[in-house]
Amino acid sequence: MHGGLELWLFAVALGTSMLGGLLGMASGIFIVPVLTMFGRIDLHTAIGASLISVIACSCAGAAPFLKGGLTNVRLAILLETATTCGALCGVFLAGLIPTRYLLFIFALILLLSAQQMMARRKVPSYASDRDSGYSVERLPLGMTLMYGAGLMSALLGIGSGVLKIPAMDTALRLPIKVSSATSNFMIGVTAAASAGAYFARGDILTSVAAPIALGSVLGAVLGARILMKLSGDKLRTMFVCILLILSAQMMLAAFGINLIERAP
Amino acid sequence: MKTHGTSPPRLEPALGALLYHGTILASAVIALGLALAVGFGAAGMRVATVGLVLFILLPVVRVAAMLIFFLRAGEYKFGAIAALVMSIILLSFYLGAP
Repeated sequence: MHGGLELWLFAVALGTSMLGGLLGMASGIFIVPVLTMFGRIDLHTAIGASLISVIACSCAGAAPFLKGGLTNVRLAILLETATTCGALCGVFLAGLIPTRYLLFIFALILLLSAQQMMARRKVPSYASDRDSGYSVERLPLGMTLMYGAGLMSALLGIGSGVLKIPAMDTALRLPIKVSSATSNFMIGVTAAASAGAYFARGDILTSVAAPIALGSVLGAVLGARILMKLSGDKLRTMFVCILLILSAQMMLAAFGINLIERAP
Repeated sequence: MKTHGTSPPRLEPALGALLYHGTILASAVIALGLALAVGFGAAGMRVATVGLVLFILLPVVRVAAMLIFFLRAGEYKFGAIAALVMSIILLSFYLGAP
């Protein structure tokens, strides 16, 4: 059965990373719920594997943005001081917070993502895409939000794009393509800061994380390719539904109810 | 700050190339490990683990590359910021171990 599980993990990562790539987000937000609820994998193991997936998606997708000059690397390294600090704190909290609270927080983040996806990101009038002299505003607020994003990333094994992108859109007032590219660039470092600690603790199981990593790389590359050819509206609606279902599932799990039959 | 060529080396394409090749290397090692695991079991898994460690280190190497670039370019403020990020990551690795 052992090869079967690995194929399943590979497929999950491929699918979720492709979907994540289509929406311009990392796959962690889908991987953790799927692994825990359908794969019956322990939450900490799922989070560890998901962090690897986040790193893989970030690294695999970064090159085109960097070459296109969309990633603001200087802003990224500055904001990474806040996200890695958050990750450092999250690594500690993850060991202290009981699983059902983690599930509850995760459910809230899924709801927030669904809400964010429904309200389409508007193009602000003051910003045009790419260079043309945008300025970075309200840095302290941005840094605070980034700290929160890093904390959630380490706690839940997600890329926290859901928190980073609004931080950059609304607090820092960056053009949308710049904030997407810069967020993608940053999530790898943030996830690496906590993944190293999870690895040292033995929470990254090779048998789970290795197929996930390969699936993620492939999914991220394919997702980015398809993204260029798709109009997002139907896709968006479908995703809001998926996020709501996953959120409801995690909420129920947080309160000890699981609709999917599970081994005791 | 003088640089080797006529135009200064750009940081972004270099980082893009680093992440691209790093991803290929780490993925190849993981794939090799999983393939070996089919025939040799635990030994193959250990190779796959090396690939996972490469993935975890890739963003850290990226920060190190930025640190070196900023110092060479005389952008000491950003060099200091990169050094700070680097130390937070290493602290997290160190404190995360039980």
